[in-house]
Amino acid sequence: MAAVQDSAVAIGAGARGRPAAQGRFAALWTKHGAGYMFLLPWLVGFFGLTLGPAVASLYLSFTSFDLIRSPEWVGTANYVRIATADPKFAASLKVTFLYVVLSVPFKLAFALFVAILLDRGVKGLTVYRAIFYLPSLLGGSVAIAVLWRQLFAGDGLINSLLAQFGIEGPSWISHPDYSIWTLVVLSVWQFGSPMIIFLAGLRQIPTDMYEAASLDGASKFRQFYKITLPLLTPVIFFNAVVQTIEAFKAFTPAFIISGGTGGPINSTLFYTLYLYQEAFGNFRMGYASALAWILVLIIGLFTAFSFLTSRYWVHYDD
Amino acid sequence: MTMRMTRRNVLAGGAALLSYSMLASSALSEEARLRLLWWGSQARADRTNKVNQLFTSANPNVAINGEFLGWSDYWPRLATQVAGRNAPDIIQMDYRYIVEYARRGALAPLNDYLGKVLKVEDFDQVQIQGGSVDGKLYGISLGANSATMLVNTVAFEEAGVELPTPTTTWEDLARIGAEITKAGKRKGYYGLSDGSGVEPLLENWLRQRGKALFTADGKIGYDANDAAEWFALWAAMREAKACVPPDIQALDQFNPDTAPLSLGKAATSYAHSNQLVAYQAINKDKLALRNHPLIGKDAKGGHYRKPSMFFSVSAQTKDPELGAKYVNFFVTDPKAAEILGVERGVPESAAVREKLAPTLDELGRAALDYVSGLGPLAGPLPPPPPSGAGEAELALRTVAEQVGFGQLDVKQGGETLVNEVTQILSRG
Repeated sequence: MAAVQDSAVAIGAGARGRPAAQGRFAALWTKHGAGYMFLLPWLVGFFGLTLGPAVASLYLSFTSFDLIRSPEWVGTANYVRIATADPKFAASLKVTFLYVVLSVPFKLAFALFVAILLDRGVKGLTVYRAIFYLPSLLGGSVAIAVLWRQLFAGDGLINSLLAQFGIEGPSWISHPDYSIWTLVVLSVWQFGSPMIIFLAGLRQIPTDMYEAASLDGASKFRQFYKITLPLLTPVIFFNAVVQTIEAFKAFTPAFIISGGTGGPINSTLFYTLYLYQEAFGNFRMGYASALAWILVLIIGLFTAFSFLTSRYWVHYDD
Repeated sequence: MTMRMTRRNVLAGGAALLSYSMLASSALSEEARLRLLWWGSQARADRTNKVNQLFTSANPNVAINGEFLGWSDYWPRLATQVAGRNAPDIIQMDYRYIVEYARRGALAPLNDYLGKVLKVEDFDQVQIQGGSVDGKLYGISLGANSATMLVNTVAFEEAGVELPTPTTTWEDLARIGAEITKAGKRKGYYGLSDGSGVEPLLENWLRQRGKALFTADGKIGYDANDAAEWFALWAAMREAKACVPPDIQALDQFNPDTAPLSLGKAATSYAHSNQLVAYQAINKDKLALRNHPLIGKDAKGGHYRKPSMFFSVSAQTKDPELGAKYVNFFVTDPKAAEILGVERGVPESAAVREKLAPTLDELGRAALDYVSGLGPLAGPLPPPPPSGAGEAELALRTVAEQVGFGQLDVKQGGETLVNEVTQILSRG
């Protein structure tokens, strides 16, 4: 705090010597300058790397742009084509919805399950927390996706294990009926960050509630159902919204596992992967920008819908 | 701590700055810098870097920064660099993309340097044509290759089957494939890779039928019946277990490490002749190059000698003449040729080829013999693929998988493919 004031004085000192015409600005600068200076790195990042490109992409979405020649204004043509004449758009949306609907509930359920286990006073809790969190740190990386590809390939570890039980597994990653599941399992495996948040939520629930309930003879399951779950709904809601957005944006695993093709037969063609193909594979940057804005819209709608329905099932403790 | 600015020290400072910048720019003009970007394996990178050292030792005032990536990462990187006005000076370019890049003004035309800096008079003229777009030269071919069938000679021998010959037909191949599978000498092993989604193989088959992938004016060069017959051919192969099942084929990302041949799933793979070096590096068994099968006993072959890849000079480069000089060194210097071998294809210059031949190792020899020995199996070079060709290739792959996994029958597959490719090409 002292440092903030000191630097405000120092910057102000330079301004004080100037003529009175600049006084107003100088006064403001003296008052808030240091604050803005501290904000500067974030401001540069936000305007330069987030807002600027976003505005540019909104403009580009109304153009035909091949990355080399200048963008050419085409009006709403990109959006019209997406809506009416692009089967791959529909295909990729279907795959993405399927992925969201499968991966988010499974991941949350698994995260909650592990959080409850860890909450029961396990020895060396911090170590377990770190270990279980590890996949989430690694999960987005290319190396893990490559590892996953190896595990689930025709003669990978998974099928070798299945073979021990006399089951001949398919080639998981290269069969259109199973490939999406390998991506769902990969996503569930990265349960660490919702798990940590669940754990924090569980710690908030007063233990005397459980004590009272068990005195009244409520079973463990009933305690979970009647106490834990309702009191945890704000945390569940938070995790669900965050994980849904994450799932819509998933890219790396599908890119690596399918070698960038979204195959076999578009079964791993995530929306973002299709967007990437259009942008960098087919040099249709304008069209890809339009796809990106539609994704923004879809995520926005989903999030708004979650917030609207939340009042019926999320219980805030007041 | 505020600095008092007077008119005098502003002037003095300015002068100092000015003289400093003049100094810096004169130092820069002595030290020219070429940035070079290519795709390929580590083996290719080692060869390229050695040639770069050779070039800089002959031209000590030039520094070269080389960078390489895998094929699929290469094109997004190049596209973004070009868009960001940060293109490398020398660009490794593919036959597939040269039209797109040239027409968009990203490449420097090299005609002015012909005969002066670029001494490519003894090049195969067809290959010079191959690097030209709309009458201007945009790419110097680094070598010739041709589509090929790679065969695992050991697996053929184990199964007691003769290697394919220049007169092997598709019927023969189907029989051979089924025999290798049936021999069952290796676990989960099949005779052939499934080639139904491999574009160069389809192209070869179409050319034997007098058709093409694309016409000269950038339209689709075959119809739904052709495509349906193609899919039917492979459906029969799958039925007879002559080739791998679709879920094994789908692992193939069309690079040496994921091909069924390298994964130990099949005794053949479909590639380009210069890739023998990369394939052999990761395969224990001895591989050999064979031409694609014939549609009938006296059919003409569908092969052609293709520029394996080009070096193009960026339109954004500061010194296109230096770029042309580098490219010329790369394709005509005998010492460079010895380092490069035939890893990028058989050199185009007759003089270089002659000098190179005795220095080649067995693999290089095999690739050279294959490309120069195609004889009547090789026809004319087709026009460069139109914009959208990359997308069309992915469409072929997807539809072939739909047929392979039984989502479409062969007739529907043929119609779907032709519809999709037609649409892709009309979008351009």
